[in-house]
Amino acid sequence: MNIPLLKKALSNPLALSGFIIIMVVLTLSMLAPFIAPYDPNDINVKAILLEPSPQHWLGTDGLGRDVLSRMLHGGRISLLVGLVAVGISTIIGVLLGSVAGFYRGWTDTFIMRLVDVMLSIPSFFLILAVIAFLTPSITNIMIVIGLTSWMGVARLVRAEFLSIREREFVMASRTLGAKDARLIFTHLLPNSLTPIIVSAILGVAGAVLMESGLSFLGLGVQAPQASWGNILTDGKEYIQFAWWLSLFPGLAILVTVLGYNLLGEGLRDALDPRSNACK
Amino acid sequence: MLNYIIKRILWMIPMLIGISLISFFIMHLAPGDITNNEASFNPKASEESRQKLREIYHLDKPIIVQYGLWLKRMVILDFGKSFASHQKPVFWQTQDKDGNITKGMIQEALPITLMINLLGLAITLILSIPLGIIAARHHLGWQDRSITLFNFVGFSIPGFWLSLLLMYWLGVVNNWFPISGLHSLNYESLDTWDKIKDTFAHLFLPVVIPSITGLAGITLFVKNGMLDVLHQDYITTARAKGLNERKVIYTHALRNALLPLITIIGLSIPGLIGGSVIAETIFAIPGMGKLFYDAVLMRDFPVVMGILTIGSALTLVGNLLADVAYAWADPRVRRGVAR
Repeated sequence: MNIPLLKKALSNPLALSGFIIIMVVLTLSMLAPFIAPYDPNDINVKAILLEPSPQHWLGTDGLGRDVLSRMLHGGRISLLVGLVAVGISTIIGVLLGSVAGFYRGWTDTFIMRLVDVMLSIPSFFLILAVIAFLTPSITNIMIVIGLTSWMGVARLVRAEFLSIREREFVMASRTLGAKDARLIFTHLLPNSLTPIIVSAILGVAGAVLMESGLSFLGLGVQAPQASWGNILTDGKEYIQFAWWLSLFPGLAILVTVLGYNLLGEGLRDALDPRSNACK
Repeated sequence: MLNYIIKRILWMIPMLIGISLISFFIMHLAPGDITNNEASFNPKASEESRQKLREIYHLDKPIIVQYGLWLKRMVILDFGKSFASHQKPVFWQTQDKDGNITKGMIQEALPITLMINLLGLAITLILSIPLGIIAARHHLGWQDRSITLFNFVGFSIPGFWLSLLLMYWLGVVNNWFPISGLHSLNYESLDTWDKIKDTFAHLFLPVVIPSITGLAGITLFVKNGMLDVLHQDYITTARAKGLNERKVIYTHALRNALLPLITIIGLSIPGLIGGSVIAETIFAIPGMGKLFYDAVLMRDFPVVMGILTIGSALTLVGNLLADVAYAWADPRVRRGVAR
C-alpha cells in the first residue's frame, strides 16, 4: 500500500473515525501500566462495589478492585488476542487460498471442500469443544480463534488469484519464465493485498467480540487476569447492585469493535475502484 | 427439481465425512488422551470412569479402528450416555428393561433452541426488510445514513452485553420481564391462558435480543439487494410504462431483491446455533447452547461430541433447505441445474 492510497483511504470519514478510535484504544492499553491509577489485581476489602467517584472513576468490583485499572489492563489482553488470532487466521487463509487459486485442480477442490466443512460446523461450538479438551488460557484461545476463522480469507484470496492470474501482466511474466513463487509473491499477492487488509481489520473486530464472549462465559481469559469479557462476568453477578460493572467494559468492547468495523468498511469503500467509479 | 435435490443430498455425504474427521481430530487434541484430561480437571475421576471413557471411544484400539467406530456411531446417531447427568442418553430416548423411557438430552433441548431461533429470525425479517427497503429508496439520504449508523452499531455490539443491559433495565429496574428460565415456579398451577402468557414473558428477552443483533446484517443485505435490482432494465421499463412507484418497488423489485435472502438465512444457521450458547446461558434457557456450555464445563465429552455433530448436521440440513427453497423460488437456478 503506497502513501497516496493511504491518504485517500483516511480521507474517507468512516475510515478516519475508525482509525482515530483504534489509535486512542491502542495508546490507552499500551500505556496501561503507567496511567492506571491502581494495581488491577489489588484487592481492597474496604472498597467493595463502590460507585464511580473521584477516587475510582469507574467504580470498584466485588473484590474492591479498581474497574478503570482493570479495564486498561484488560484492553491489552483483548487487543493482543484479537491481533494474534487474526494474524494466525490471515496467514493460514492466505496460504491455503493462494495454493488453491494458483494451482487449481484437485488441490483447489480439496481446500475448498475443507472450507465448506469448517463453515458448516457452528464456530462457537467448535471453539468451545476445543477448549473443553484443552484448557482455557490466553495462548489457547488465540490459537483456537485463529484456527477457526481463516475460511473467509482463504475464499477471498482464491477468488482474487483466479481473476488476477488470467491478467496479461501475469501471462507476460510467466512467458518470460518466472517461477511459481515469483509469480505468487511479486504479482499475485501484492495485487490482492487490499481485500486481505480489509478482511484482517474486520477480522480483529470479530476476534475481539469472540474473545470477550468466551471470557464472559469463563472459558477465555482466566481470573485474576482482567479482560473486558470477564469483568462483565462479575457485572452479571452483581447486576442488581452495580450497574457500572456491566456498563463500562461493554462500552469499551462496543467502541473498539466499532472502530475496527468503521476502519475496515471505510477502507473497502475508499480503495474499491468500483465504488470510486460510481462517485 | 428432483434431480437437483438428490444431487444436493448426495453432496452432503462428503461433508458429513469431513465433519466426522474434524470432530475426531478435536477429540484427540487433548494432551495424552482424554482420560488424562478428565482426571486432571476432576480429581474425583475414578479409574472406573476413565475405563468407561476408554471403552466408549475405544481408546485401546488402533487409531483407524477408532475412527471407523466413531463414524459408525455418527451414522446411527448413537452418542452414548452422559457422564455428568446420571447416565441420560445424549441424543434420543431409550427404554430400559422395565419399559421406563429416559428422554435424550438433545431431544429435550433441541426444540427449545429451534423455537427461539425461528421466532428470533421471524422478528429479524419483519424489521429488517422494511428498513432495508427504506435505506435503498432513500439511498444516501438521512434515512439511509441513520440506518447505516444503526447497522455499524449492530455489527459491533456484543450481544451478551446488550442482554445484560436490557436484563438490568427491563428485568431488574422495571421488573417487566422475568430474567431467567423458561417458566415461572408456579407454572404448573396456572391455567392455559396464563401458561401462554408466562412462556411469552420468559421468551421475550432471549428472543428479541439476538434478533436485534442479527438485524444489522440482514438490513444491509436487503438494502444492497434492492440497490442492485433498482438499476436493472426491467425496473426502468416498469417505470417507463407508467407504473406507480409503490407497484415498482413492491411487486417488481422486492421479489427479486429478496431471493438471495434465502441463501443468507441458510448461511446464518451455524451462527444462530452457536450464538445460542451465550443467550441461553445468560437467561438460563435449557436449550442446546446451555446444554453444550454445561457439558464443556463438566468435561462431559459424550454430550460435547453429540452436540457438535448434531449442530453441524443441522447446519447442513438448513443449507440444503435453503438451496432447495432457492431453486423452487428461482426458475433460473432450477433450469440451470436440470439442463
